[in-house]
Formats: sequence, structure tokens, C-alpha cells
Amino acid sequence: MSATPWQQCLSRLESELTPQQFNTWIRPLQAQEGDSDALRLLAPNRFVLDWINDRFLDRIRELMGQIQGRPLEVHLSIGSQQGTNPAIGAPKSETNTIEVTAPRNTSLNPNYTFESFVEGKSNQLARAASRQVGDNPGGSYNPLFIYGGVGLGKTHLMHACGNLIVQRNPAANVVYLHSERFVADMVKALQHNTIDEFKRYYRSVDALLIDDIQFFAGKERSQEEFFHTFNSLLDGKHQIILTCDRYPKEVDGLEERLKSRFGWGLTVAIEPPELETRVAILMNKAQLSGIDLPHEVAFFIAKRLRSNVRELEGALRRVIANAQFTGRAISMDFAKEALRDLLALQDKLVTIENIQKTVAEYYKIRVADMHSKRRNRSIARPRQIAMALCKELTNHSLPEIGDAFGGRDHTTVLHACRKVAELREEDGRIGEDYANLVRTLST
Amino acid sequence: MAQQLPLNVRLRANATFENFYNPSNEQLLAALHDPCETFIFIWGSVGSGKTHLLQAVCHAIAESRTSAYVPLGMAGLAPSMLEGLEQLDVVCVDDVQMVAKEPSWETAFFHFYNRIRDAGHRLIVTADVSPVRLTIGLPDLLTRLSWGSVYQLQSLDDSGKRHALQQRAREQGIELSDEVVSYLLRRYSRNPGSLFELLDRLDEASLVAQKRLTVPFVSRFLDQLV
Repeated sequence: MSATPWQQCLSRLESELTPQQFNTWIRPLQAQEGDSDALRLLAPNRFVLDWINDRFLDRIRELMGQIQGRPLEVHLSIGSQQGTNPAIGAPKSETNTIEVTAPRNTSLNPNYTFESFVEGKSNQLARAASRQVGDNPGGSYNPLFIYGGVGLGKTHLMHACGNLIVQRNPAANVVYLHSERFVADMVKALQHNTIDEFKRYYRSVDALLIDDIQFFAGKERSQEEFFHTFNSLLDGKHQIILTCDRYPKEVDGLEERLKSRFGWGLTVAIEPPELETRVAILMNKAQLSGIDLPHEVAFFIAKRLRSNVRELEGALRRVIANAQFTGRAISMDFAKEALRDLLALQDKLVTIENIQKTVAEYYKIRVADMHSKRRNRSIARPRQIAMALCKELTNHSLPEIGDAFGGRDHTTVLHACRKVAELREEDGRIGEDYANLVRTLST
Repeated sequence: MAQQLPLNVRLRANATFENFYNPSNEQLLAALHDPCETFIFIWGSVGSGKTHLLQAVCHAIAESRTSAYVPLGMAGLAPSMLEGLEQLDVVCVDDVQMVAKEPSWETAFFHFYNRIRDAGHRLIVTADVSPVRLTIGLPDLLTRLSWGSVYQLQSLDDSGKRHALQQRAREQGIELSDEVVSYLLRRYSRNPGSLFELLDRLDEASLVAQKRLTVPFVSRFLDQLV
């Protein structure tokens, strides 16, 4: 297959530009090459478009002209080729490149169900309320307002509820969206003079699920529009479900009339899960992925990650990846590795200063002796060990390390490193000291 | 005013998986090649090779997939840079720690995260610290950053750096003797990024002077730098 003119142009640009320039600005362009004498380039946004216009467009025209052997029109606009290349193997089946006004049952994530939601003391009430609403939408719990900290499962419950409504009534038009999307859609509708369609659309749905309504704060026009949508849906006994990171009354920048309406139905909180629930969440997730997770490993992870479910899921994902990569059963070592990379357990910031301080404390000498000219062994030895540690544990250059030890030459540092390597071989105690120091500095 | 494109005829070294030398990160490399890994967070110190890996991903998929590399540490960017990027198959964001304490960036990145997740496209980010050490103020964003697979990119030790530098030199057709490498590691820097940069400049200098890269030549060159 021979390269198209645009592909030839790309490889020319790739060799002319720095990798950063090329990957940042040229890569995201999508080309539409027709038979005509024009090339249409699509940039993902205004910012990229302006940048290309200012810096690269002339050169692109020039190159295309050379390649084609005649001048060529190059048009640059904002956009994306719809429907191309859905990610292979993406975990979810839905790809949301749907336009603004299209119906959106597809916006529900089918994986978020009540069955996959792990119940515990911390979320019992919220789960029960959501379940009720799923069984009987538009009933007495309207709106349903779920609030709680980040990563505790608000979005999961909301989707579970929406999925249940659709399961009971496949014809129901259930729309889930993030508050930001509501705002963006409204702005777009105002720009394109389609605000009436926008209103009609949102007021016609059977259930409206809006996530993270705290992002409405300060956006008065959106709040105004949402207020009317809200009233209209409520009048028609259509279900509304909202989530927020705090109790409605505590959201700054939200109109009072909205806040009070949010309290008309049922307001429920989700708390951070307790240990048993965290273990259950991990076991459940592993089971869903068809993975055999030993209880002690689940317990180990759950004990260390307390604040939110996302961290738990991230750590589990790493553990599973480790197991799949090595082809071995899940072990405590995998769990430790996953947690190490996530929590940076071995990532105490290792600096030259820190090394000098730690070594001085270890050998009970003064930090000042690290810089001093004194050469008796009880001081020179720890100083050499500190230098060797600096070489091993930091990326500083040898001249920099020498400087930090009282302006010594890099050859002194090199000599110290060799000496320490020798001593570690010959003298068991120094070997042990060195190992202890590495451990102290990096855990 | 905008600078026009530099006309540079010298062949630049691409950042690819083939020329990424770091034997202790096999599992991360496997994850980067796996399209099912939709969100990967890589952290590591300066010079560990984060930027190289991100650009290698863009390069490797270019035949069949759209992508962008977004260096948040670059001057002159604005949060609107993230709009619409979720339509690309893979977005690689470098130095995500730069959004910390910049509310407009934090919010924009949070929304971008949600959009690309909804689109089912891949997001790969790097930072200089692990997600739990990021000082991002928006908790919604912070927790999402630890949602995917988190990998620490291990730095090379000195013999690894030596190997990487010589491999890079070979690729560019430069002869770099053991003595010169030792000399550089002793006198100059132990950060692969700066060493690679220096290599480009040494190559240029040796072409101009029509001299081979010997220790005396390198030594004179470094003296001029100071």
C-alpha cells in the first residue's frame, strides 16, 4: 500500500520537528483526503487550530505542494471524523460519540447494577432508597438526592437505578449525564439557536440522572434552565436523581430555590466504607473479573487503602495485571508491589541532604562533619558511605555530589564509591550498615 | 509572535519502544501495549523516561489509531487545549502534577477525564510523584487519578545509563567509546535526558569540527559550556 500524500507529509514533518512538536500538534490532526485539489484537516479544538495556523500551516502547504507537484488548498477546521476507530478491546460496549439531542439510554453504564454494588453499613440507606426508586420511579422519593465524598459509589448507585428502570420498562427514556455536560449542551444550544429543542428534549425524558451537581455552582444561566426542567419533570411525575459531593444546603453558589427543591424528595448520604465492606468490594470485583483473589490479599489491600473505592479498584487492577503478566497465582508479593507503586511506600524523597542527615545520625556524628575537612576514620568513613549512597540513590552528577560534601572533587566521590564497595565485600559490619541505611532512606 | 517552523535537515531521534532501554519495567511496557488498559498512571523521577514512553505510544499506534501527546509542563498552553481530545483513540498527558493548585486546569482536566472515560478511549498520564502525593485540590480529580493501573517507572542504574547512552549513539550513527561514556557519567550528568541532549550537541560539534568524539574533544567541549 503506497502512502497517501498526507502520510508522506507527516513523515516529512516527523523528521523536521522535535518529537514534542510533532506529537503534540501534528498527531491529533485528522485528514480528509479527497480526489480534489484540497486537503481538509480537522483539529480537535480551537486551541490546536490556532497553534497550527500560527506555526505550522505554511509549512504543511509547502510540503503538500511539493509532494503533489502542484499547489494545494489546505483547509483547517475544528472537528473529528465520527465513528472511526472505536478502541479495540475497550471494556465497555458503548462509545458515546452521540450528538447533543440523540436519545441516551446508551449513556447508562450496564456494568453499574445493584448486583455489582457491594452493600455495607456505610451505604445501606442510599442503596435501599435507590432500589425503591428503581422499582417505582416518579413515586414519593422524587427527587432522590445522593451525597457523599468522592469515590464512594454515588455514580454507581445512580446508574444501577437507571438500569433497573430500563429493565422494568425497556421503553423508558432514561438520561444520565454529568452536570458539566448539561451546561455544555446548553451553551451549545444557545450558540446554535436551538435552546427550544434543548428544553423540549430534557423535559421529555422519563428519568433524568445528573451527576455532581456541585459543578452547577456559580453558573446562573444553567441553574435557571435546570430549575425549569426540574419543575417540569417533577410535575409530570418523572424521576429525578441527583448526586453531589455534599449536603445540598452546603453547596455555595447554588440558588436557594434550587437547594430547597432538592430537599423535597429524599436526601441520603454515602459514607466511606468500613474495613469489611472494603474487603467485600475487592472480593466482588475480583470475582466479576473471573479472578481468584486470596482473602488475605484482599484484607491486606483493604487495610491500607481506606478513603475511597477508586484506590481499591486501582490497586486490584494492578494486582490482576501482575498475575496475568507473570502467569502466576495472585500473591501477597503482587499486592505489595501494587501498593508500593500506588502509595510510593519506598518513595521518601531521597536528597543529598537527607542522606547526609540520616548517615550522620546513624553513626552519631555531626552533619557538619559531612562537609568538614577532618580526615580521621570515624568521620571519613561515614562521609564516604554517604557519598556512595548519594551515587546509588540519586541522579545527581558526581561533581554535584562532591560539591555538596564541602566542595570536594568528583574524583574523591569516585574514590569513596570504590572504597565503600570494597569494604562492603570485606567487612560484614559495613555491609550491614550500608543495607540498613538504604532501607531507612527508601522506606 | 509565533516562530515559524525551524528548517532542520538533521534526522532527529524518534522516541520509540525500540529505543527505550530500561529492563526493569517490563510489566509497565506490557500494560502500555495492551489496549484494554484504558487508564494508566506512570510516575517516576526526572530522567526516568516518562516522556519517551508517552511519545513511543503515540508513535507505535500511528498506523491505525489517532493520538495526541500533551505536555502540561509546556509554556503557553491553556485548559481549552483539552477540549475535544477525547475523540482521539489515545491521549498521553505528560506532567499531570502541573495542574495541581491551578483550579481552572484541575476542573478542565477532571471533565476531560470523564469525557474520555465515557468515550472508552485510552488515557495515559505521567507525574513526578505517585497519585497519593499529588497536591491536587479537587478531590474528584485526585481519586480518579488512582483509579487506573499505577506504575512507578524505575530509574536506570549507572550501568543501565551507560547502555542506554551507547545504544542511542549507535542509532544516530555516532561512535561513543566506553571511555567517553565513563567520562560523561563522571564529569557531566547522570540524568539520561540531559545526557541524550548533550549527545545531540556533541554530534553536531564533532561534525562541525570534523573530529571524532574522543575524551579530549569532549573535555574541551564541556569546558566551553561552563
